[in-house]
Amino acid sequence: MLVKTVTVRNRAGIHTRPAATIVKKASQYRCEFFIVRDGFRINGKSIIGVMMLAAEQGSELQLEFDGPDEAAAAEDLVGYFERKFDEEF
Amino acid sequence: MAVFENTQEIRKESITVGFLADECRERFALTPLNEGVGREKLITDKNLHRPQLALTGYTKLFSYHRVQVIGNTEFYYLKSLPMERRIEAFRTVLMFDVPCLILTSGNGLEPELLQIATERGVPVFTTPHETTKAVYFLGDFLDDQFSAYAPIHGAFVDVYGAGILFVGRSGIGKSEIALDLVERGHRLVADDVVMVTRKGEGILMGAGTTLTQHFMEVRGLGLIDIRQMFGIRAIRFQKRVELIVKLEEWDPATEYTRTGLDDDETSLLGVELPLVRLPIFSGKNITVIAEVIALNYLLKHYGYNPAKVFAEKLHEAIAKKSSGKGRTGDRSIPYFEHDFE
Repeated sequence: MLVKTVTVRNRAGIHTRPAATIVKKASQYRCEFFIVRDGFRINGKSIIGVMMLAAEQGSELQLEFDGPDEAAAAEDLVGYFERKFDEEF
Repeated sequence: MAVFENTQEIRKESITVGFLADECRERFALTPLNEGVGREKLITDKNLHRPQLALTGYTKLFSYHRVQVIGNTEFYYLKSLPMERRIEAFRTVLMFDVPCLILTSGNGLEPELLQIATERGVPVFTTPHETTKAVYFLGDFLDDQFSAYAPIHGAFVDVYGAGILFVGRSGIGKSEIALDLVERGHRLVADDVVMVTRKGEGILMGAGTTLTQHFMEVRGLGLIDIRQMFGIRAIRFQKRVELIVKLEEWDPATEYTRTGLDDDETSLLGVELPLVRLPIFSGKNITVIAEVIALNYLLKHYGYNPAKVFAEKLHEAIAKKSSGKGRTGDRSIPYFEHDFE
C-alpha cells in the first residue's frame, strides 16, 4: 500500500469539478483508493464521499493506494493535487 | 467473515464540562452552583462514579477522573458529620482532579464546601432528579458522546422495516440497487457515505452526513436528490443497521450458501451482524432478492427459520421411510379428486 500526504492548494478547495475529476482519474486504475481526513476514511472512487470531505484550501489529506497499479495511480493523483487541479497557474 | 477489516473507529476523546453543562441544562435541569468555574475541564470517561468510600477516606481505586455523582447516600453521610470532619471528607475527594460534582434530588451544598470546590476549580451542579434517574439520563448522554462511529462506504436502505447496508467494491451497483428499492417503495437512509454509530451494547445506528444526506450518484447520470425526486416517503433520517449484504462478482471458486442453515456473520464496530454474500451476474434481479432477504430476516426475527423448518421436514421424511412408510418423491396431493382447477 502507498500512502501520500497532499495539501489542497487551490483557492476553492475540492469543489464539484475537481471532485469529479479525482473520482474519474481514480476509477481508471484497478487499485483501491481511499482519502483520509481527520480520521474519516472515504472511498476515493465515490463522488459523494469525496465531496463529503468538503476539503478547503490548506487542508491536508492522506491518499491511500492499494493494488497492482498503485504507483501509477499515486503519481497521477498526487500530480493533480500539486497542479492545483489545473485551476490556477 | 471479515468485511470491514479496514474500518477505523472514530471516538471523541473528551468533552468539556462546559459542553455538558450547556447540553444538559434544559434536558436534565442541570443547574450550576458555582457558575463559570472549570468549564474547560475535560471529561474523558463515559462512566459516572459515586464517591461513597472516598468520602470516608478510602481512596485506593477511586475513579476520580469520572463525573462524580453525590446522591442522597453521600449527601446525608456528609451531613451526619460534624462540620470539621465534613470539610475534611469533602477535601479528601477534591484532592483528586475530578472533572465535576453533580448533586441529585435537588440537594445543595453548604457555602463552606462550595467554597472549597470553587477554590479547587471544580464545577458543582445540582439536578432535581433523584439519583437513579439522574444517573440514567447522564449515563445515556455520556454514552452517546463517547460512542464509536465510522463512515462506511455503502448504500443503506430500509427494506420492509429491516435496515440493510449494501457494501461492495465501487462501481458494482450499490446505488442502482438503492434507487431500484426506492422506486419500489422502500426508504433510503444514505448512499455512498453511511455514518454508523454504536449505541449501547450491540446496536448500530446508521445515518447520512449533513452535507450529502439523500443525494446519490448514478453512473452516467450524475448527482440526483432522492428526497426532491421521490418525496418524503422515500427517505429516512436514521435506521438501525440490521443486515449486511455484500455484493460480489460471481466467483466459481467461492462457496455460496445453498440452504441458509449456516448463518454467516460479520463484525462492524465490534457488533456481530448477519451477512449475506450475494454474487451478481446478468439476468439476476438483485432488488427482488434484497426484498426477499429483508422478508426472510423478518421471518427469522419473529421466530420462523425456513431452512430449519425444511431440515425438520426432511428429517421426518427419512424417519418415516426407515420405519417402512412413505415413498420417494411422494406427491404433495395424494389424489386429484375430480378437481381440475
